Amino acid sequence: SMLRYKLIYFPIRGRGEVARQLFYLAGVPFKDDRITISEWSSLKAKTPFGQLPVLEVDGHQLAQSFAIFRYLAQEFGFAGDSPLEALWVDVTADQHKEYENKIKPALRFQGSEEEKEQLMRNVAEPARDKYFPLLEKIAEEHGSSGHFVGASLTWVDLLIAEHASILLKQFPGFLDRYPTVLAIVDAILSTPKLKEWLEKRPDTAF
Amino acid sequence: PVSLLAMPSYKLNYFDARGLGEVSRQLFILSGTPYEDNRIPKDQWPALKEKYGFGTLPVLEVDGKQIPQSLAIARYLAKEFGFYGANAFEAAWVDALADQAKDFLSEMRPYFVIAMGMAEGDKDKAKAEIALPAIKKHFDLFEKAAKDNGSNGHFVGSKLSYVDILISEFVFSIDSFMPGSFDAFPTVLAVRAKVTSIPAIKEWIEKRPKTVT
Repeated sequence: SMLRYKLIYFPIRGRGEVARQLFYLAGVPFKDDRITISEWSSLKAKTPFGQLPVLEVDGHQLAQSFAIFRYLAQEFGFAGDSPLEALWVDVTADQHKEYENKIKPALRFQGSEEEKEQLMRNVAEPARDKYFPLLEKIAEEHGSSGHFVGASLTWVDLLIAEHASILLKQFPGFLDRYPTVLAIVDAILSTPKLKEWLEKRPDTAF
Repeated sequence: PVSLLAMPSYKLNYFDARGLGEVSRQLFILSGTPYEDNRIPKDQWPALKEKYGFGTLPVLEVDGKQIPQSLAIARYLAKEFGFYGANAFEAAWVDALADQAKDFLSEMRPYFVIAMGMAEGDKDKAKAEIALPAIKKHFDLFEKAAKDNGSNGHFVGSKLSYVDILISEFVFSIDSFMPGSFDAFPTVLAVRAKVTSIPAIKEWIEKRPKTVT
């Protein structure tokens, strides 16, 4: 039988992982189409924005990772329990994206120790200290029971937990100043169904 | 129509500019929803920054509660007022194009700061190396989206959505810096023509404060 959903992405977690997690958490089967670089070069022109991930729903394509996550989250019940909650999920996700764009140069940097330290001091730490207090504020005002927004799992919980787990693998202790965030990330990653996925998913560096 | 008693009070706080706040202003106007259009002068911003919990603008106040992030605000209002596509898949496409448009704006920023004299740089060089490639890259996609949607004056579906307004405003701003920049994208220009032909929007454009961006 034909699967309704196909997710096309590279064989990494990156900007595809939250979508995979949403399918798994919802118990919805999908084709997890992990493509190679050479397959991508012939597929690229056939995608809406020349980028991945792309979600196909009954053969219709959708691009842009957050649009995909929000669409799946709404279909499967991970987008917040009210319009205002959905709004705060969106606010948090956009705030997170701005931070991730800033910190990116410092992650996976392959230069000298001195350059790494400079990036840490001049880029990574300021980006962190601008964003994580805001995230704590959001969680305090809008989240409960181990979630950033609302009282049940949302796609922004998954987004932030995935980022934190990569970040802390590379820089253990990097978020020690933000114990509230760490506690929420722990709670999210301990969700039984998510734990199942984390244990059985293909093992990739990022 | 909602009873005025049931409607929340809305205040949009932004700079005296169109930028990322204008789409929300137009959503209020299109829906006939009263709102306070609070424009903060740039020189007052440093002193007021503390008052806005996230340190950035725009901030929408709904019954006094502050909400940041321009696209989250626009999407929320679009949903409330009916400018968010006819179904969930259309809504996702509206969001996808809006995110792409925001990416486009980020790529244009280095050109804008030079063109507006806020940073040192060769304006012609910035236009050739930054602006023109960014416009080509993103507007090829927007042109295709508008064509694939049936060249009906909308990027998605058959009704006005917030991304029609968002991209139309970017076109207006950039065209004022570099006239003719979108001549190669007639289907995009047709979307803008349709947006600006709506009487309430036409009237607003004529009377709104004239700002550079």
